[in-house]
Amino acid sequence: MKKVLVIQEDIIIKKILERLVGLNNYTARAIKSLDELNIEDQQTNFDLIITDILFEGIAPLEFVSQVQEIIPHKKLLIVTNMGQDKIKKEIYALQGISGFFSVPIDLDEIEKIIQAYR
Amino acid sequence: MWNSVEGFFSSNYVYWAANYFFFIYGAFLMIFYFTGVILANIAIKKNKLKSSFLQVSDIVSATDIPSVTLVAPAFNEGLTIIENVKSLLSIQYPYYEFILVNDGSTDDSLEKLIKEFDLEKKDATFIIQPITTATVKYIYKSRNKKYTHLTVIDKNNGGRADALNAGINFTTTELVICTDADCIIEQNALLKMVRPYLEEQEKEIIACGGGIGIANDSIIKNGILKELRLPENLVPLIQVVEYIRAFLLGRMAWGEINGLMLVSGAFGMYPRKRVIEVGGFDAKTVGEDLELCIRLRTHMENLKVPYKVVYLPETLCWTEGPPDHNILIKQRDRWARGLWETMSIHKKLFLNPKYRFMGILFYPYWLFFEFGAPIIEFLGLICIIAFSFLGWINWHSAILLFTLVYLIGCLFSTAAIFMYVKNFDHYNKPKQIVELLLAAYLEPFLYHPVLLYGQMKGYYKKLFGIKSGWGVMTRKGFKVSDT
Amino acid sequence: MSEEKFIFLIEVVAVLIVAVWISIASSLIYRKRRLKVLKYIEETFADIVSRYLYNDIQNPLTLIEIQRTLRKAGIKSHKKANIQYLINLMIRTQRTILGTNHKKLKMLYAQIPPYRVSISKITGFGWYRKAQGIREIYEMDQSQYRHNILRFRNHRNVYVRREAQIALVVFLGWESLRFLPYLKREISLWQQIKIVEKLYDLYPTPELPWLKKAYKTDKLFGKQLLMRGIRKYKLQAEVNFIIENLNHPNYEVRETAIYCIQTFVISDEWMVEVKEIFSILPDATQQMQLLKYIFNNSEIDLDFYLKHLYANNDDLKLKIAEILWNNGYKEKVQEFYYQQYAKINPYVE
Repeated sequence: MKKVLVIQEDIIIKKILERLVGLNNYTARAIKSLDELNIEDQQTNFDLIITDILFEGIAPLEFVSQVQEIIPHKKLLIVTNMGQDKIKKEIYALQGISGFFSVPIDLDEIEKIIQAYR
Repeated sequence: MWNSVEGFFSSNYVYWAANYFFFIYGAFLMIFYFTGVILANIAIKKNKLKSSFLQVSDIVSATDIPSVTLVAPAFNEGLTIIENVKSLLSIQYPYYEFILVNDGSTDDSLEKLIKEFDLEKKDATFIIQPITTATVKYIYKSRNKKYTHLTVIDKNNGGRADALNAGINFTTTELVICTDADCIIEQNALLKMVRPYLEEQEKEIIACGGGIGIANDSIIKNGILKELRLPENLVPLIQVVEYIRAFLLGRMAWGEINGLMLVSGAFGMYPRKRVIEVGGFDAKTVGEDLELCIRLRTHMENLKVPYKVVYLPETLCWTEGPPDHNILIKQRDRWARGLWETMSIHKKLFLNPKYRFMGILFYPYWLFFEFGAPIIEFLGLICIIAFSFLGWINWHSAILLFTLVYLIGCLFSTAAIFMYVKNFDHYNKPKQIVELLLAAYLEPFLYHPVLLYGQMKGYYKKLFGIKSGWGVMTRKGFKVSDT
Repeated sequence: MSEEKFIFLIEVVAVLIVAVWISIASSLIYRKRRLKVLKYIEETFADIVSRYLYNDIQNPLTLIEIQRTLRKAGIKSHKKANIQYLINLMIRTQRTILGTNHKKLKMLYAQIPPYRVSISKITGFGWYRKAQGIREIYEMDQSQYRHNILRFRNHRNVYVRREAQIALVVFLGWESLRFLPYLKREISLWQQIKIVEKLYDLYPTPELPWLKKAYKTDKLFGKQLLMRGIRKYKLQAEVNFIIENLNHPNYEVRETAIYCIQTFVISDEWMVEVKEIFSILPDATQQMQLLKYIFNNSEIDLDFYLKHLYANNDDLKLKIAEILWNNGYKEKVQEFYYQQYAKINPYVE
């Protein structure tokens, strides 16, 4: 089974995304911040990471590059409340980003992407 | 009336004049404080209700909000500069720029910055300088896309105000926040600070400040406060209470009647346009934050444009307070000189109806009760000593009066702590509250006399023209957690 | 004052201090307990919403189960604070989601408690409750109450009318432009932002007739609002409205126009117009902002830049010198500086 890591501080969004990927036959691991990552997570090659960019103690761009550096993964999707075009451009400039969704989101679009990856 | 000097002093006239003067002064102060508690309470409640209609999560996702640049000067802060810059870069705001001004540091700050952030030198020939400052040598930008919001300005030394001006010159954003490189700013601070700018309809916001807290001995991780602890030493511990009282009661109350004359230099936001119009911070005074705020207000009064200076009750910026008596004296000496200089620069405001409330109420308040308080207190001490030698004091009544005044002071501090605990979550352990209360009750004996000494030292220097600059403010540095 | 009176006053103040101590202690205890309750409600709600939106056929979530779970979490009619917290969570969730799930949530909210709480608020007293009620109604898309709200759009309290005006956008969409640019009282920057964003999120297809009719407004905030709308929807064909306002006598309107024009790349003909406006702008800072736009969006027009290099504003000259220097006209900048040097040093031949 393919594996997805959800990193969202907002517990409601986290639960919804976890449920969405779970029902699409992925194994979902959902955490609130990078502090909750365990050694096993860091050794898993996730097929997809769905993450926010707003976390305590780290700048959004720095966070994304840290995720890219420390968690092995194939694709990286950003779902964030701070989704202005300017931020989107800056995030894409880091390279290796598969998608960027700003809140409010249409979950059907995310579902389509997940199904396409399957 | 009196035949000789002895006659004058031996009459009851001096005794009663002094008694009435100190009583009336004290009574006025008490009334101001009491009104302050009521106004602050109203302001905090109002702020809470209003903010429910414009939450941080609304602002963070909005597209048309004003862009903000944070300007932080640094001088010889090589030991902590990387940590500090990372901390200030992590502030959450969609249209955020950060300018660090290296104010002619003689240590390895710049080299460290270049290495850590992969900085590249840019030509500074064509930079625009609406405010004159010491020469800017180079501008640095990062090659790394992670640090695209960071700009470092390397300039010759000119002092804090000059460095801030150099940063303001370089900004292109609507709003500018001035702070210090070693301050820890709450990550959502900017989102909260822009709220008044977004909401105001009829008046222009010319300055906005947020609460400042003392974080000595707290635990820092990745540049943010991981664990807020109370300082271990009494001097900074009492400052925690002092800051809570000053920001939560004083600033909020004055803000409620648009009477704020000061937005603290450690954390203040201004519209760039207005700061440039008034020529930026005054590099000649050591009280540049107070001076700028008064100058901005005067400017708006002259323009006849309705304006507001606002304060947010939340603690949005954490700083390290003087850890011992010696450094505290230096700090208060400098503040006293800054106050003296500012009062003197703006003396034309005094009872000047052209400047409306600022002329007839706010400036006189500052003159009599902020600038004048240490002098009156000092005179009071002299009177007590002199009268006791002359045997004019009824000690029994005096002790009762002292107890009453002391308890009223304790009541104000306790009320401030209560308001803080009720509204904010920073200090939430019973042990912390007990320590804060004890510190508040010890303040008049162990802290206030030192404060008075520092202030009088500053006035003495000004009175006799003794030259003195910022002085060295040695900091211990925060405790940094690796885990 | 007699000693008895002193002692009496001391006792009064001491009692007051003790009363504040008790308040501090009760506040600490209350906050600690409350936090636990709120966390539990949030977790329960997150679980319900996620299961409702993505229902598992093997283990379906029924309405009765939802109601029972919420009751267990403390959502009962007499616990008003819990109900208010749940409403806040409902709004937070509804605002995060668009599309079919947004509609599903609306259905869910109609079937679970609290019932009719928001509408009862707007009929009550006090600005805060009224404004709160209106906000809840539009955020949770309870369109059945829209007529109850619209009458508040010119209410004397700023928060009540602000929320009512945003409700207007949520329920009427582009048609709300019939009213918004003509409101009696000023609207804040935040309100303009929120109106445009709500419109964009809920009505993504522009309805230009409403927009064009609204151009007639003479209200300054109305013009700013319309420009922000054009910018948000990237309505290239309507960019002339922004250009016209670049030269508006009001500073704020010009500021908004300069901000909004930056989203667009304009034709050469329009650029000529913008350059003309640039020459007569009364504010140097705004000239500087517009200059950046002109430079970033058009070819180097040497005549234009040279004309302003020899004009009066020093900051502008410096910026233009930089542009020319970095774009292959170093000799023009040198020539300019030699001439300046000659002017201020009359003895140099």
